[in-house]
Amino acid sequence: MAVIQEVARTRGAAPERRKGDGRAAVLFLAPWFAGLILVTAFPLVASLYLSFTDYSLLEAPGWIGLENYTRMFDDPRFFQALKVTFTYVLVSVPLQLAAALALAMVLDKGLRGLAFYRSVYYLPSLLGGSVAIAILWRQVFGADGLLNQVLGFFGIEGVGWVSHPDYALGTLMVLNVWTFGAPMIIFLAGLRQIPAMYYEAASIDGAGRWRRFRSITLPLLTPIIFFNLVLQLIGAFQSFTQAFIVSGGTGGPVDSTLFYTLYLYEKGFGSYQMGYASAMAWFLLLVVAGMTAVNFLASKFWVFYDD
Amino acid sequence: MRVTATRATRRRGVALVALTAAGALALTACSGDSGALPSDGDGGGDGDVEIRFSWWGSDDRHQTTQQIIDLFEEKNPGITVVPDYTDWDGYWDKLATATAGGDTPDVITQEERYLSDYASRGVIGDLGELGVDTSEIADDILGTGEVDGTLVGIPTGVNAYAMVADPQIFADAGVEMPDDTTWTWDEYVDIAGKVAKGAGDGVWGAQDYGFNEAGLNVLARQQGETLYNADGTLGVSKETVAQFFQTSLDLMANGGQPDASRSVEYQNAGPEGSLLGTNAGAMGVWWSNQLGALSDASGHELELLRLPGESEFDRTGMYFKPAMYYSISAKTEHPQESAKLVDFLLNDPEVAKLQLTDRGLPANESVREGILPELTAADQKVADFMADLEPDIVDNPAVPPNGANEIQDIMIRINTEVLFERMTPDEAADAFLEDVGAAIGG
Repeated sequence: MAVIQEVARTRGAAPERRKGDGRAAVLFLAPWFAGLILVTAFPLVASLYLSFTDYSLLEAPGWIGLENYTRMFDDPRFFQALKVTFTYVLVSVPLQLAAALALAMVLDKGLRGLAFYRSVYYLPSLLGGSVAIAILWRQVFGADGLLNQVLGFFGIEGVGWVSHPDYALGTLMVLNVWTFGAPMIIFLAGLRQIPAMYYEAASIDGAGRWRRFRSITLPLLTPIIFFNLVLQLIGAFQSFTQAFIVSGGTGGPVDSTLFYTLYLYEKGFGSYQMGYASAMAWFLLLVVAGMTAVNFLASKFWVFYDD
Repeated sequence: MRVTATRATRRRGVALVALTAAGALALTACSGDSGALPSDGDGGGDGDVEIRFSWWGSDDRHQTTQQIIDLFEEKNPGITVVPDYTDWDGYWDKLATATAGGDTPDVITQEERYLSDYASRGVIGDLGELGVDTSEIADDILGTGEVDGTLVGIPTGVNAYAMVADPQIFADAGVEMPDDTTWTWDEYVDIAGKVAKGAGDGVWGAQDYGFNEAGLNVLARQQGETLYNADGTLGVSKETVAQFFQTSLDLMANGGQPDASRSVEYQNAGPEGSLLGTNAGAMGVWWSNQLGALSDASGHELELLRLPGESEFDRTGMYFKPAMYYSISAKTEHPQESAKLVDFLLNDPEVAKLQLTDRGLPANESVREGILPELTAADQKVADFMADLEPDIVDNPAVPPNGANEIQDIMIRINTEVLFERMTPDEAADAFLEDVGAAIGG
């Protein structure tokens, strides 16, 4: 309270103003800064330290050097987790972005009640990562679930979409594609920024719909596509909830949905190998940072900045 | 102008100092070990003491336990018990995190697969010296709370891993209920197949039993082996593990149990969504304390049977498993008060009347006698079944070794491989021994 009054009062005093505002700014930033240090930076550094220890959560950590990191490469389930995660990321992210772009283009045509449709299509993004949807998913895609009942009506015999090791990961990918709302909204904003005159000029030159999309929309949208790609890639690497709920926390059936973060969690809290889990977390960080760096380097060749 | 400015600066300075001080206070309050500041310091002697009691469970248990705590506080003025509860899944994460933060609850509810992990790392202390009255608990039951000769957990109550059967589905299928004192594992497979045939579409004989290691332990014990030896090594042979998985395959082959996908789903669905709970099957292997929940879900009057094979081999394999244990933190500031609470929870007849069989059929025998008339029909059946079983139990297994909690996931994974026929029982047995060996060896 006192601070606010002081800030208001110093407004009039020109020579003191700069200095006073600086201090007030520091004060106002302090809570956020404290949060950053205590809740993000400190745990980050601590986990780096713990990754070189045999920390079990229950007793004090002991230094073991690089052992956690070398052990990873003898752990078949670690590789299984990498395989599952990369498959998930590389398949579901492009599909999700394609779905988002397709719907954004439909909505961009200026439908009546656009706000309504936008909300409807955004809804899954709010719900997709939630526990309730994952449980519902289990009901719908069960061996005797809704989907198979519908298929049965057409005489097709379904499988256990989330309980069969050959199909469970695919079902989770579909769930991820379905949550295309956030990138869709960003695509919509991007589409709105493309000047209509380009399309008009192209139409006059006789360009068809496909040609206009390929030569105008796509190039001008590349910065947005790039932005969405980076964001969704990082998000997909960190997927956890869906697999956790659908498999009851085990990454099953038979490790077919053993996401990297799920395995990390299992090691840290299930097996009390927090040191190993910390090392896994740092390895993931390196992988994601590497992917993102490659992405940025590659972007030079396909992203078009119109300035 | 000059003056106001300086005053303003000074006041800002004061505000800054105050804020920093508040922040510092908040920080010390967060980081301080609960023991750093004597919270029970007003007045010395038998002043107010605060202890924390942690448990897992359902809403029902939380309410009952709160009533028990109120009763304890009434009888022991000066001791305040702070409840610390959550559901089963979150419990172990929370407990491990609290332990890591130096904030272990004083009285901790434990489970056999975690007991050794916490005892060997010095988190829970020796209960033998604290004067908790355990005279009413049978020695072999009490012994299941010892790790390396130290009493680190006192059993609250006992359960048995048993066959739950639905007589109505047996009758509908035109199959006679088995004689559970003589039936063999082969007869079990055979009967399940007959029930499935007789009961028609969508009804099976039995739910797959391969997701729980307790069944394997019983089969091993029947043949003179055991899942874990007392020294914490694996005590089961490859042949026995393979035989255990083969039974599931035989049941799938003769239609006695559902296909692999459905088995995985039923396994995930808990008692309410199980074969028995949804009237879609005649048999399932469960812990005896789940009879009530299963009966409620099915609406039928379910029966408890002994597992197959009890008279097929050298000896019987069934045993009493402590439902849970009470342990006391090794670092508690108030060992006497904590021991008083544990003593009260175990021995007070009023406590028993409140919680009945919620923490297993009470291990305290005189308390158990006292609540028999108050039990529901299902719990009454459990009590009768256990009393009937007791003389035939040879011994109770030792506390599972460190890392034993990982066996749940390993079992689910390997059994699923077998059900989907991605591994033969032989390969599964090898994988099982290797994975469990690695988990408990580390």
